[in-house]
Amino acid sequence: MTEQRPDAPESATSTYVFAVCRRLDPAVLTGLAGLAEGFPVRGLRCGPLTAVVQHVPAAEFTEDAWQRRLSDRAALEHCARAHHDVVTAAAARGPAVPLPLATLYRGDERAREALGADTDRFTAVLDRIANHAEWGVKVYVPATVRPPSAPAPAAPPPGGGAGRAYLERKRGLHRAREQHHDRALRTAEDIDTALTRLATATRRLRPHSPEMTGEKHRLQILNATYLLRTERAQGLLDAVAGLRQRTGAEVEVSGPWVPYSFVGEG
Amino acid sequence: MTDIDTRRDDPAAHGPTTSNLADILERVLDKGIVIAGDIKIDLLDIELLTIRLRLFVASVETARKAGIDWWETDPALSSTAARDELRDENRRLRERVEALESAENGGAPAARTQDTAAAGART
Repeated sequence: MTEQRPDAPESATSTYVFAVCRRLDPAVLTGLAGLAEGFPVRGLRCGPLTAVVQHVPAAEFTEDAWQRRLSDRAALEHCARAHHDVVTAAAARGPAVPLPLATLYRGDERAREALGADTDRFTAVLDRIANHAEWGVKVYVPATVRPPSAPAPAAPPPGGGAGRAYLERKRGLHRAREQHHDRALRTAEDIDTALTRLATATRRLRPHSPEMTGEKHRLQILNATYLLRTERAQGLLDAVAGLRQRTGAEVEVSGPWVPYSFVGEG
Repeated sequence: MTDIDTRRDDPAAHGPTTSNLADILERVLDKGIVIAGDIKIDLLDIELLTIRLRLFVASVETARKAGIDWWETDPALSSTAARDELRDENRRLRERVEALESAENGGAPAARTQDTAAAGART
């Protein structure tokens, strides 16, 4: 229990912060593994607020160790899911503000000091997200399929007629692609407009490119996320069902999420 | 006074609850309220990261299909291989210790190894 002076050697553990809430029912944290075995996930009082924290071995949570972790698929997935599980549990009884992965302090006292300095920010955000959840919506359309055309002849056939026909075909294909593209964009806008009406706030996330989804047969044209009052969730699901029918687009819903996307200032 | 949130009690009322890694990464990596930590972690760009993960998975899958399993025998990559190596080394060391001890005590059990158990054991 000795006071750590700033110039004292680094302690063996760092304090990892998952989320900040007003009050915490410790029962919601039972059985959570967090990011380090053998250290309980617990509440840490910070004035009027409670942070959800865990001691982690300092040596395993340096910047270098994180870079290694982030480059290893299994380790990264494990961390992301463990972080997400704690954040989700912390929000089971009332609003919780998630912190991004890997928010670390040299000890409980430092965490208290840093979080305490932002009490007003946290309080404002907690007020804003109370009784709300986040719902993600992704919209897909089929990737443009080229009509199976005969390969272009190596040499243009004699006579202007055939050449013109060839150009016409090329133009038609180009037009069809443009129309498909325009229709897809309109569909995305229509869906987003309809769902925004139900939402307290909305954000566009970057659509996942085919490289990310690994899917060649469909294109993601909308990756949006909505902050919704708890009682409006069913309304969103019903609206999505209607939009699927009306537009023929594939619409995927995920949620409810703790409002990760609506707690920053951005 | 507490705002009890019961939304998790009626899962049937909700759409699919995601466990899609890309969705989780997108939220835990660059969302949330950002405050300065004591340890500066540069979280990689979500898109680059996900592409890298996909390529990583793809390369492992491809290698597995081709019947290559270097990561299962390379101690640097596999804890199983590392354990095996450690076990072998332990066994070798234990044998040497036994040999040295029995040489020292002039004990019979390991008499066979006395010749090889370093003459230097007796000082």
